[in-house]
Amino acid sequence: MKSLALESLSKTYFDPYRGTQFTAIKDVSLNVEEGDFVAVVGPSGCGKSTILNMIAGFVPATGGRILVGGREVSGPGRDRGVVFQSFALFPWKTVIENVAFGPKMRGIGKAERNRIAQEYLELAGLGHAADRYPNELSGGMQQRVGVVRALANEPDVLLMDEPFASVDAQTRMTLQEELTRIWEERRPTVVFITHDVPEAVFLANRVVVLTRGNVLAEVDIPLARPRVWDSLVEDDEFKSLSNQVLQLVRSA
Amino acid sequence: MSALHVIWGYYVRFNARWPALAAFIPFVPLVLAWTVVVRLELFPPVFLPGPGDVARKAWELLYKGILTDYLADSLGRLAVGAAVGMAIAIPLGVFVGLNRKAYEFSWPILLFFQAIGDIAWLPILLVWFGFGLTTMTFVIVYTVLFPVVLNTVLGIRSAKPDLHRAAQSLGASRSRILFEVTLPGALPNIITGLRNGLGYGWRALIAAEIIVGTSGIGFLMFDARRAGSVEEIVVGMILLGVLWYIVDSWVLAPIERATGQRWGLVTK
Amino acid sequence: MSVDAVTQWSPLPYRRTWQAVKFVAPLLFLVVLWQAVVTIFDVNPRIFPDVGTVARAGWETIRDGSLWTHVGASLWRVSVGTVLAIVIAVPLGIAMGVSKGVSDFLTPLFRFFSVLAGIAWIPIATLWFGYGFGAITFVIFNAVFFVVAYNTLLGVSTIPMPLRHAAASLGTTRWRMLTEVLLPGSLPNIVTGIRTGMGFAWRGLIAAEMIATNTGLGYMLFLARDFYRTEIIVFAMIVIGLIWLILDRLLLAPIERATVERWGMVQRS
Repeated sequence: MKSLALESLSKTYFDPYRGTQFTAIKDVSLNVEEGDFVAVVGPSGCGKSTILNMIAGFVPATGGRILVGGREVSGPGRDRGVVFQSFALFPWKTVIENVAFGPKMRGIGKAERNRIAQEYLELAGLGHAADRYPNELSGGMQQRVGVVRALANEPDVLLMDEPFASVDAQTRMTLQEELTRIWEERRPTVVFITHDVPEAVFLANRVVVLTRGNVLAEVDIPLARPRVWDSLVEDDEFKSLSNQVLQLVRSA
Repeated sequence: MSALHVIWGYYVRFNARWPALAAFIPFVPLVLAWTVVVRLELFPPVFLPGPGDVARKAWELLYKGILTDYLADSLGRLAVGAAVGMAIAIPLGVFVGLNRKAYEFSWPILLFFQAIGDIAWLPILLVWFGFGLTTMTFVIVYTVLFPVVLNTVLGIRSAKPDLHRAAQSLGASRSRILFEVTLPGALPNIITGLRNGLGYGWRALIAAEIIVGTSGIGFLMFDARRAGSVEEIVVGMILLGVLWYIVDSWVLAPIERATGQRWGLVTK
Repeated sequence: MSVDAVTQWSPLPYRRTWQAVKFVAPLLFLVVLWQAVVTIFDVNPRIFPDVGTVARAGWETIRDGSLWTHVGASLWRVSVGTVLAIVIAVPLGIAMGVSKGVSDFLTPLFRFFSVLAGIAWIPIATLWFGYGFGAITFVIFNAVFFVVAYNTLLGVSTIPMPLRHAAASLGTTRWRMLTEVLLPGSLPNIVTGIRTGMGFAWRGLIAAEMIATNTGLGYMLFLARDFYRTEIIVFAMIVIGLIWLILDRLLLAPIERATVERWGMVQRS
């Protein structure tokens, strides 16, 4: 695990229809300590996904730097694991082949990488589904595979792009609890993008509110861990923090 | 950097405004490459004529009126064949698709006759009808028929039961459900079938015109082959390609997009 | 969902047999009907022969070995042309599909040649290669080649971007991206392309054999026509139908089902 730092990151697009420049992200700086969990919230179109895509290296930044463990990065790499909203599981690979994909790319032998994958699958309670195809699993199970696939590659930073937005409400709460449990166990450095304020407050140590490509505010979440929904739903501190963040998002 | 942006902007806007025209741009380097290959004389001109020769030949054929006559013949045959084929295929497909017994009985037969393939019918048709229009029309009708029937059946059978139930509970009668729900639901499949059918149909037409023909683009090409006029063959090929490209991308594909994709029935 | 999704085989063996019986029964009925019509209406055998005559003619061609010569020649041409086309078209299609700019630019070209593929090349192919194996194989080759290349190109461009991103962020090299993501991702389109292309190729083969050779099923048909041997024509038509049915339903369609449907990548068509 390593720290992540964004130094006055910006992104301008060229709009070929209007023939003008369009600024999506302007001078965003952010520090995520090693083993920290930061959530980024904001209304749709505020640029939160652009930031994540830049950190992941899918789109190049037009200004500023991205540092992982103090070293500047560009382009996608295995030091930054990504969990996608659309799951992005390879439909032609079984669950275990999906999870073993990262180790395979590192040149780890078949027996060893299957052992690693199986171990991570057990962590998410998916041991029984190893030989199924993603298409044969429910949305919630698919995203468990997505998270586990990123973790099994042992990234320095875990980037999550609205990972639970396309699963049903019940499953989402279960997945959120499983994610905190895994985080509390393994302490990966996480950047979590979402538009769901309670989700951000529930999961993160710190919530960053983003508006129109700028950081509006950062809110620390000093809630005790382990966190479970049963105790937090009625928790006054949780409610007031959620309200505080919600006000910030809505003021944007 | 900004100059590049400006050019890129022009290209993107041109692409967005006239996508059909922009599709012709990639052919420019192809024709240039063709010219270069001919100029280098890698192949004897009897085998590969230059673009100039082909253009002159095309103009000559057009000037004599042969090209337009033959083109009209080919298109006429295709249009008649396609119309008759669809007129039989769609009702047949609806019937087979709605009736389980009819489906179980006729599906293997339909698959088998589709598998025989249009062109294999030519010899026996020649025995039956001789060298003439009947033979050619039969081949094209036959070719268009099966893809449309098979796809119509598929479209009808894969209709969502919920839509049927919704129409029923809204008080629609059986015949109304057929015309208001079942047929529109099957339309994207029918159009896909038509697109495939015409794709096979015009190939069958070319073959029929080569083997049977007394006129038409296929005949033009094969006649040129006999006379050793490679320019005419190439004129015929380009004409066929351009023609089908226009029909497919300016007529059939937009219809397909306007129905299936607009309604979200086709998942891309 | 493709046309054949409706005739699904169940894994249970007895259901398989039952399915086969249900498939063959209507065809047998058709044979009975054919015989009945010919007998009742006393059809001139020059116009349409009865079942017995066709069977005898078929047996004759099997015994003197001419059927095997023709079938062998046709299948050999199809195999050579198709295999050659696939081996060249798939890597080319993927290479072109890697960059979006390149694939956008080349798509119209390949569409143009794929709509032209097959029969329209017969005249110029016979001019280039003379009558015989070369011209016919060339027609098959280009029927399959352009359709498969175009579909591969299309397949690569329809792979969802997150899949490529996911692979990249898991540390995939360029070469690995090709074999692990781009190739399997475009496989559904490639298989569809091969089915369509072979459909064109099979028809092109029959047409070309009528015109440009002295062996093969198309030639068998056309030669029989010259002598008004309708029983051989009908027999050859049945053979052509059966071979294509076997190729398409028992070879190509199952491949499509085994991969594409299990992966849930079926596109409605």
